Amino acid sequence: MLEKLIEQTNQHTILDMEASIEHLTRGTIRHVDHLLVVTEPYYRSLETAGRTVPLAYELGIKQVHVVANKVRSPQDEEAIRRYCDERNFEIIAVLPYDNEVLEADQAGIPLLDRKPDSSYVKEVRKLMDRVLGVHQPQNETQTA
Amino acid sequence: MKIAISGKGGSGKTTLSATLARLLSRQGSSVLAIDGDPNPNLGVALGISALGLSGLQPLPRSIIEQRPDADGVNQTFLTQPMHSISSQYGVAAPDDITLLLTTRVDHAGKG
Repeated sequence: MLEKLIEQTNQHTILDMEASIEHLTRGTIRHVDHLLVVTEPYYRSLETAGRTVPLAYELGIKQVHVVANKVRSPQDEEAIRRYCDERNFEIIAVLPYDNEVLEADQAGIPLLDRKPDSSYVKEVRKLMDRVLGVHQPQNETQTA
Repeated sequence: MKIAISGKGGSGKTTLSATLARLLSRQGSSVLAIDGDPNPNLGVALGISALGLSGLQPLPRSIIEQRPDADGVNQTFLTQPMHSISSQYGVAAPDDITLLLTTRVDHAGKG
C-alpha cells in the first residue's frame, strides 16, 4: 500500500517511517527521491544507520543522507563523522540536542509554533535548503 | 520531491519529519505527510488538534487491490486516485499539510 501511495502522489511528500528496516528490505520505499537516516551519537543508533544506508542504495534510492541528531558536543559530532567517513556516508545536517524539543513534545505543541527561533528549527531549515538544493528543477523526475 | 525519514526508535524521526514537512509546505507547495509508524505520533508533532486527530483513521485495505497486469504478473493497484484518497482519509494539519496514516500490510503472494 505504502509503495503505491508514494509512487502515485504528485505532491511533495514526507514519510515518517517505522523504526524497523522492513520498508527497505521489502522495497516499500523504492519510489522516494531522498532518504534521510536519522542517527544519534551512540553505537546502536549508528549501527542501525550503518545497515540502512547500503540497503537504500541497493533499492536504487538516488539520494541517501545521514542526519546527525541530538548532538550535545563536538565529541558527539566527531563520533558520528568518524563512523560515516569510514563508510563513505554523507552527513547532510547536524541537529543539536535542544531541550526545547523535549519541552515542546511534553507540551504537545510543535516546536515550530512554540519556539520558531530555536537552534533545532534553524538547523532543520538549513537541512531543508540543502535537500532542495540537491533536487533542483532540472533534476526532478516527478510528473506533474 | 518525496522524502522518507528513517532511523532507530527514539532517534527523533518524527520531530524531524513534522518540522521539515511544515517548513517545506511554507515554501509554497502543499505537502503530503504520511505516518508509516505503527505507533503513530506524526499528527501531534505536526500540530493537529485532538479533535482533528480523532478523525484520523488508518487507510483501509480497500484502497488497494491485487490483479494481474498486462503480462499476467500479479501487481498492486490503487482503487482510487491519490487526490480522492487524500480528501477522503486525510486529516488537515497546519501549513496546508494533509496527513495520511498507513497500516502495516503483508504483501503475501508478492514475494
